Amino acid sequence: MSAGGQAVVAGEAAAIIEARGVVKSFGQTPALRGATLSAAQGEILAVMGPSGSGKSTLLHCLAGILVPDEGEVWFAGSRLDTRSEAERSVLRRDRFGFVFQSGQLVPELTAEENVALPLLWSGTRRGPALAEARAWFGRLGLDGLERRRSGELSGGQAQRVALARGLVARPDVIFADEPTGSLDSVSGEHVMSLLTDAAREEGTTVILVTHEARVAAYAARRVIVRDGTVTALDAVAP
Amino acid sequence: MIGLGLRLAISGREAVIRLVVLTAAVGLGTGLLLIAVSGINAVNSQNDRYAWFLTGNPGVPSGFANPPVKSREGITPETSGSTAAGPLWWLLRDDIFDGQVIYRVDVAVTGPSSPVPPGIPRDPGPGQYYASPALAALLETAPASELGDRYPGPLAGTIGDAALPSPDSLVIIVGDTPAQLAQAPGAVRATSISATPPSGCSGDSCVLGLGIDAKGLDLVLPVVALAMLVPVLVFIATATRLSAARREQRFAAMRLTGAVPRQISVIAAVESTVAAVGGMAAGFGIFFALRGPLAAIPFTGQPFFPGDLSLRLPDILIVAIGVPAAAAVAARLALHRVRISPLGVTRRVTPEPPGAWRVLPLLAGLAELGFWVLRGVPKAVPGQVQALLPGFALVMAGLVVAGPWLTMAGARIMAARTGRAPTLIAARRLADNPRAAFRAVSGLVLALFITTVAAAIISTQDAKDGITQVGGATASNILVDLNQGGFSRGAGYEVHPALGSAPSATLLAQLRGIHGVGAVLVLYADPGLTVPGAGKINGHQERDQAGLVSCAQLAKIPALGRCPTGATVAAVSVNIGDTDLATATWPAAHVSARRLEGLDALGVFAATDGSTRPVEQARTLLETAYPSASGATTFAEASIHSSWRDVMYRQLADVVILVSLPIAGCTLAASIAAGLADRKRPFSMMRLAGAPLGGLRRVVALESAVPLLAVAAVAIGTGFGVSAMYATMQLAHPLVAPDAAYYLLTAAGIAVSLGIIAATFPLLRRITGPEVARNE
Repeated sequence: MSAGGQAVVAGEAAAIIEARGVVKSFGQTPALRGATLSAAQGEILAVMGPSGSGKSTLLHCLAGILVPDEGEVWFAGSRLDTRSEAERSVLRRDRFGFVFQSGQLVPELTAEENVALPLLWSGTRRGPALAEARAWFGRLGLDGLERRRSGELSGGQAQRVALARGLVARPDVIFADEPTGSLDSVSGEHVMSLLTDAAREEGTTVILVTHEARVAAYAARRVIVRDGTVTALDAVAP
Repeated sequence: MIGLGLRLAISGREAVIRLVVLTAAVGLGTGLLLIAVSGINAVNSQNDRYAWFLTGNPGVPSGFANPPVKSREGITPETSGSTAAGPLWWLLRDDIFDGQVIYRVDVAVTGPSSPVPPGIPRDPGPGQYYASPALAALLETAPASELGDRYPGPLAGTIGDAALPSPDSLVIIVGDTPAQLAQAPGAVRATSISATPPSGCSGDSCVLGLGIDAKGLDLVLPVVALAMLVPVLVFIATATRLSAARREQRFAAMRLTGAVPRQISVIAAVESTVAAVGGMAAGFGIFFALRGPLAAIPFTGQPFFPGDLSLRLPDILIVAIGVPAAAAVAARLALHRVRISPLGVTRRVTPEPPGAWRVLPLLAGLAELGFWVLRGVPKAVPGQVQALLPGFALVMAGLVVAGPWLTMAGARIMAARTGRAPTLIAARRLADNPRAAFRAVSGLVLALFITTVAAAIISTQDAKDGITQVGGATASNILVDLNQGGFSRGAGYEVHPALGSAPSATLLAQLRGIHGVGAVLVLYADPGLTVPGAGKINGHQERDQAGLVSCAQLAKIPALGRCPTGATVAAVSVNIGDTDLATATWPAAHVSARRLEGLDALGVFAATDGSTRPVEQARTLLETAYPSASGATTFAEASIHSSWRDVMYRQLADVVILVSLPIAGCTLAASIAAGLADRKRPFSMMRLAGAPLGGLRRVVALESAVPLLAVAAVAIGTGFGVSAMYATMQLAHPLVAPDAAYYLLTAAGIAVSLGIIAATFPLLRRITGPEVARNE
C-alpha cells in the first residue's frame, strides 16, 4: 500500500487525475499492488523508481492505456477505467498528451504534419491544424525544421517535435515516459526545460516518469514506485 | 553457421511464428504458381485431345505411313491428308442438344485395314454407335423423341477418356454403310486417324471449330501465362519480405555480439531457404489437394480431366529448386539494400523518386498505335503484325514501367489535397516508396489490361460479325435446318445447292403437331428464274440461302420479314447472322404457289416457343428426315457456335481476371502485413495517443486499396483505349463494350481483393494494441 497518505495525492488542490488502490498484473507477474496517486491541475509530478518497479504501468493505467485489474482511475471527476476502449481513445486524443522515449514520429510525415496529427485526428481542418502546429516550432526552438522528416532530425530535435505534438492540442495532462531517455544530458535538459515551461504557461498537468534524479528535479513533487506501490519522496518548490 | 541459422529459424515463439507465416505465404504462392503452370499444361493437353477429330482434314500435316500404329492412348501417330482412297469413310459434324454441342463422327468401314478412332475397341458397324459417358447418360435420361431418335441403335459401348477433350464432352461415333457416307456431303476417306492436334494445324484450312490452332495457341497461351504468372511471382516475392525489418533488427543485434556480415548473409539465406523449402512442399500439397476441384472449373468452357492438370518434370524441377534458390537470393539481395551494423539497421540507399521519363514507353506505345489508326494498317498480315505488335508490347511494358511514377504522382496529389490524417499518412507513404506500393499490384496491371483488351475486341468482333442474331426471343425460338455444307474444308465452304426434296406433308404435319411449334416455313431453292443474281436482295447480300418462300407461311413468322402486299411468293436472303430480318419486306417472286411446292428445299424453319422440348423434338425430326444436312440450329445456337473460339478466349480472359485479382489481393495483404510489422512502433504510438483504430484502418485500407483501384482503373482504361484503336484500324468497327460478365467478374475480383485486404484489419488491432506498444 502507499505510504505517506497526503504525500502521494494532490493535497489541498483538487486532483485532476487520480489512481486509487490500483492493482495490475501481467500474467502471474504483479506490476502494481494497490498504487495510489493523484495530481492536481497544473502540477508537475515526477514518478521515479528503478527498472521494473511498475512506474510505466502506473502511467499507462492513469492514461487509460491499460485497465487496472483492481482499483479505480479518476479523471476530471469521473471514472476513467470503466470507460470503453473507444471512449478512452477519444479521451487520450482530446485531453491527454504523450511524450515517450523514442519512435513516436510517423516517418512518412514532415515535422509539422507530425505535430498537427492530434488535431487532424480530432477533425481540425488541415490549414488551421498546420498553422497551429507551426506556432509551436518557434516556441520550442524548431524554426526551419517544419518540412523535415523524422529521419532528418537529430534525437533532440525529434524529441522536441514529439513534445510539440504532445502539447499542440492543449491537453489537460501530459504523460511523459522517460522523455529524455534517448538524449544526451544537454539535449535532455533542454527538452525538460521546454516541457516544464510550456506546461506552466498552458497550465497543463505533467506526469513525468523517469529514473533520473536530474530529470525528476524539474518536477514540483516526486513520488517513487517500488514493488508496485507508491511512496512519497519529497515535495520540491516549483 | 548453417546449423546456427537453422536453430535461429525455429528458436523462440516469434521466430516460429515468422517461419510459419513465411512458409504459409510462400506455400500459397507456390501452390498458385503450380496451379497456373498446370492450367496452361491442361489447356495444351485438352487441345491435343481434339487431334483425332481432325482426321482427313487437309490442313493437318501428313506424312506418317500406313498402316497406322496405335499409340499408348490409342491414337495413331499419323494423319492423313489424303481423302482419295482411304479405307475408312469419315464425316465429322456437330449436333446440339439443349445448348450443348455434340460432336458426331460417322464412320463406315471398307475393309479390315480401316483405322479405329481412339477410345473404342473397334469401328462401329452400320446401325451401331459408341457414345461418350456423358452422352450415354444423356441418352438414357432424355426422351428419345428429343435426342435418341437422331441416332440408330444400339449403343455398342462407351467411348474411353482417350478420345474425349473433357469428361463432360458429348461425343458419338456412329456406324454407317460406305454407301450412305459416300452420298453424304463433306464425307472423306481416311487412311488413318489424325494424331496432330489443332495446334499443329495452321492456315485457313484449319477452321474446324475444334480446339485452338497453332496461331491461337502461340498467341493466347503466352499472354495468359504472362497475365497469370506475373501476379503469382510478385506475390511470392512479396511474401519473402514479410517481417524483413524485424529480422534485420535481429541481425543488427547479432552484429553487436560479433557476427561478421558474411555470417549474417548465411543466416539470412538459411532462414529464408527453410521457409521456402517448407513453403514449396506446402505448395505442392495445396496443388494436389486442389487439383480435383480445379479440374472441374471450365477454364476453356469445359472442365479438364484431373490428370490433364499435370506438371511436367521440368515444371517440377524449376519450382522445387527455383523457389528455395530464389528465396535465398532474394534474402541476400534484401541485405544489400540495408546496412546492418552493430548499432542498428540503416537504409543503404535512399530510393530516388521515380522519374517522369517512365511514362515515355507507355506514351510511345499509344502514339505508335495512334499513328496506325491515322495512317491505316498495312494490308498484309505480316505487315499488320509488325505494325501493331510493337505498339501492344510497348503499352504493356509501359504500364509496368510507368506504374511507380503514376503511383507517386497520384499519391502526391492526394497528400496535397487531403485534410484527413489517414489519407495524409497513406498518401505520404505511397509517395515515399511508390515502387513498393506498385510492386504489389504490378502483376494485376498486366492481367487487367490483357483481359480488358481481349474482352473488348472479342465483343467488337462479335458485333462486326453480326452474331448478335435475330433480335430478342426469336433468336432462340426459330430452329433452322439449312444445308450449310458442314465444316469448312480446304479453301472454303463446301456449299451444296439444296437440302434435298421439299419436306413431305407428313413431316410438316409432324413439325406443326409438336406442342410449342407455332409455324413452319420452307425455304425453296430458287431455280434462277426469279432472282437474277444481282448480288443483293432487298439490301441483303445474296448468299447461299437465297431462295423462295410462301408468303402464307412467312406471314406466320414475322421475325423473318414480310411479303409485299398481294404477293404469294417472295424471294428472300436468309443468312444466320442477319440482324434485321424482321424489318425486311422481301420482293415478290413470280412463281406460282403450286410450282413452289415442286422445288427442292434449301431449308426449313420452325418457329417454337423457345423451350427445350419443342426445339429438341423439332430438331430430332428434321435431322432424321435430312440426315446428310449439317444439323438444325436456332439462330442463337448458330451464332454462339460460330464464335466458339471467341467464347473460349473470353472464358480464358474471365479466368485470368478471377485468378489474378485475388492473387493481387493476397499480395497486398502480404504487403500490408509486412508494412504493419515494420511500422508497429509508430502505429502503436499513434493508437496509444488516441488515434482511433478506425482511422488507422483507413490508413491501411488507403495504402492498399488506392494502388489497387488506381491500377485497375489505369489498366482497364488503357485496355479500352488500345482496344478502341485496334477496333478502328483493324476491324473498321466502333468499339463495342464487353458483356456484363466482364464487368461482373472484374467487380467481383476487386471485391474479393478488397475483402482480402480487410481481412488484415484484425492484425492491425492485435499488433498495435497498447500492451504491444509498452513492450516494443
